[in-house]
Amino acid sequence: MHDKLIQKLEILSDAAKYDASCASGSAGKRQAGKTDKAGIGSLTGGSGICHSFTPDGRCVSLLKILMTNYCIYDCHYCINRVSSNVRRARFSVKETVDLTLNFYKRNYIEGLFLSSGIVGSPDLTMESMVRIAKSLRLDHGFKGYIHLKTIPNASPELQAEAGLYADRLSINVEMPTQPSLNKYAPEKDLGAIHGAMNTLKDKITEHKVDKAHSGKRPPRFAPGGQSTQMIIGADDSNDKVILGTSVKLYSEQKLRRVYYSAFSPIPDASQVLPLKPAPLIREHRLYQADWLLRFYGFTLDEIVHDDMLDMDHDPKLAWALRNRHVFPIDLNKADKMLLLRVPGLGARTVQKILSIRRYTKLNWIDLTKMRLPLKKLKPFISVGDYSPDIHLLDSNNFELQFKQPKQIELFGA
Amino acid sequence: MKKITVTSVPGFDEWREASRACLAHGIRPEHVIWQNAHSVQDDLFGHEEQTQATSNFQIKHTIPKSALALFKYALCHSDTNRFALCYRVLWRIIYENKNLIQLKTDEDIMQLYALAKAVKRDAYKMSAFLRFRELNNEGNEHFVAWYEPEHYSLEIKLDFFQTRFKNMRWSILTPYRAAHWDTETLFLEDNPDPSVVPDDDRIEKYWLTYYANIFNPARIKTNAMLNQMPKKYWKNMPETSLIDDMIKQSGARAHKMIIDGNKH
Repeated sequence: MHDKLIQKLEILSDAAKYDASCASGSAGKRQAGKTDKAGIGSLTGGSGICHSFTPDGRCVSLLKILMTNYCIYDCHYCINRVSSNVRRARFSVKETVDLTLNFYKRNYIEGLFLSSGIVGSPDLTMESMVRIAKSLRLDHGFKGYIHLKTIPNASPELQAEAGLYADRLSINVEMPTQPSLNKYAPEKDLGAIHGAMNTLKDKITEHKVDKAHSGKRPPRFAPGGQSTQMIIGADDSNDKVILGTSVKLYSEQKLRRVYYSAFSPIPDASQVLPLKPAPLIREHRLYQADWLLRFYGFTLDEIVHDDMLDMDHDPKLAWALRNRHVFPIDLNKADKMLLLRVPGLGARTVQKILSIRRYTKLNWIDLTKMRLPLKKLKPFISVGDYSPDIHLLDSNNFELQFKQPKQIELFGA
Repeated sequence: MKKITVTSVPGFDEWREASRACLAHGIRPEHVIWQNAHSVQDDLFGHEEQTQATSNFQIKHTIPKSALALFKYALCHSDTNRFALCYRVLWRIIYENKNLIQLKTDEDIMQLYALAKAVKRDAYKMSAFLRFRELNNEGNEHFVAWYEPEHYSLEIKLDFFQTRFKNMRWSILTPYRAAHWDTETLFLEDNPDPSVVPDDDRIEKYWLTYYANIFNPARIKTNAMLNQMPKKYWKNMPETSLIDDMIKQSGARAHKMIIDGNKH
């Protein structure tokens, strides 16, 4: 490899860092066949391996790069828009393939996450991206993870071909509403984005249904599904609008994951943009709310009381504070859905409680053994030998005790 | 008192054989002393016979699969008490409560889960943080890695590496054992010589370039990084040599982003 490559890599990985997604999960298991004499790689099932962590706390799981940062579009929030003065570079198909394989063989990565600026036309760009994925799969028997960020305006045929080689496809909606798109990404159209998502959704379900009914296996198609990303705090959409968009994407387009990326200032920024970064805590609260919507049985109206999420308390605690009449909840009797609503109990802890109480009654000592966040739990629960002081829940300054120090910890309970 | 010396690491097979023999003789857990070959020492009850850890007894006990899976992980822990703990749990499953393993507030079970969890994490980190370097071998690709797990995690991850890098020649060296794979057979070697691991690799500079540039200096969260990647792992990960400078320069780099943005 030539050292010009270092420069390209600098430019094209730097340009990819604004994308929040790093996950490489949920595409099932896969490996080279027993008799395969060539080929490399596997998918372990589950959520993929984090091979390193950078000082921004993010996991490095994939080689996340742009094929090129040349772009004919002029989206204001994007560092690569045509009117920006950044250095430009472009990887060839072979360079991208070699880099992916060389990284993979050294156990640096789980696979490739490829996106791109638009060069020439959406179809030409998409075609090169598909060639990279195809070459990895067919020429090199690559069984690792491939995520392609598809180009919304590329032809349906190319989208369909991409799904044959990629584990996951994504199209960024970027902004939750069409007016915001008009303002910040004039070439992007929410209708076209949803249209492309629907095409992919149909292909993905078609593959799954056929497998179940006719017994004949159609070619695998993006087994990891679709994901998307929204930029938070560049436009003035409130949390209810943002989460409302997510709920629709999950239910109508069957997305696997919506990522939220707090707007952070980019070099050579457009004047339309705010100058300050959006607070990270807002992004964090959106992820927490998103989680509650998908896995904890909460509805949008329950979670977002006003138009914005409560920044001082996590959304579940905020809900509990607004609904004190539901508590205390008896951990020995309450059903699963109710247990999931207790602040301080995660899905795994709830599972643990359900399995333990089949054999024995839970007492306070058991909670200490399970290392639960007792201070947080205390007012909201009762167990065999403990029930909370009722006045505690009713007191006016009750919520003050949950005030968090300013610093946030992303991986806390 | 029965004294059992496990001579191999991690010692799963020996433990199983010896446990079967003890069960067959009805020897209660409190009457067995387990030790590792390298930790043998005189104890206060040093007057009883040393018994070989073998047995011809074929007594069938039904042990839940979930328990066996837990034993397998827990027995790869470096804690010498693992043998005694696993035998005690085994005994209690048979004579006390066949659902014991579900009682996650029982002291023994909690300890067993804690050992298994530590091994799982250690093994996961091995599959994540191990770095291969290419050995310059006249056109024959051969990848070599040195890794220091806290427990006997190599045995847990052999399947993973064989599957993922099936058509690649590789060697993984740990302080206690090496595994060599030639694309067809696996060869294990005890106490390998770490000096065969190359000092450098032709691709590493690209990896470092990638690592330095994929990071966003406007969002420093050092604690989140350290939670997932504590410093004890750093020495065999080439990219970690960049971290100090990345953090030091991040303020200036993030500031520059905003200044540049204000120029217009």
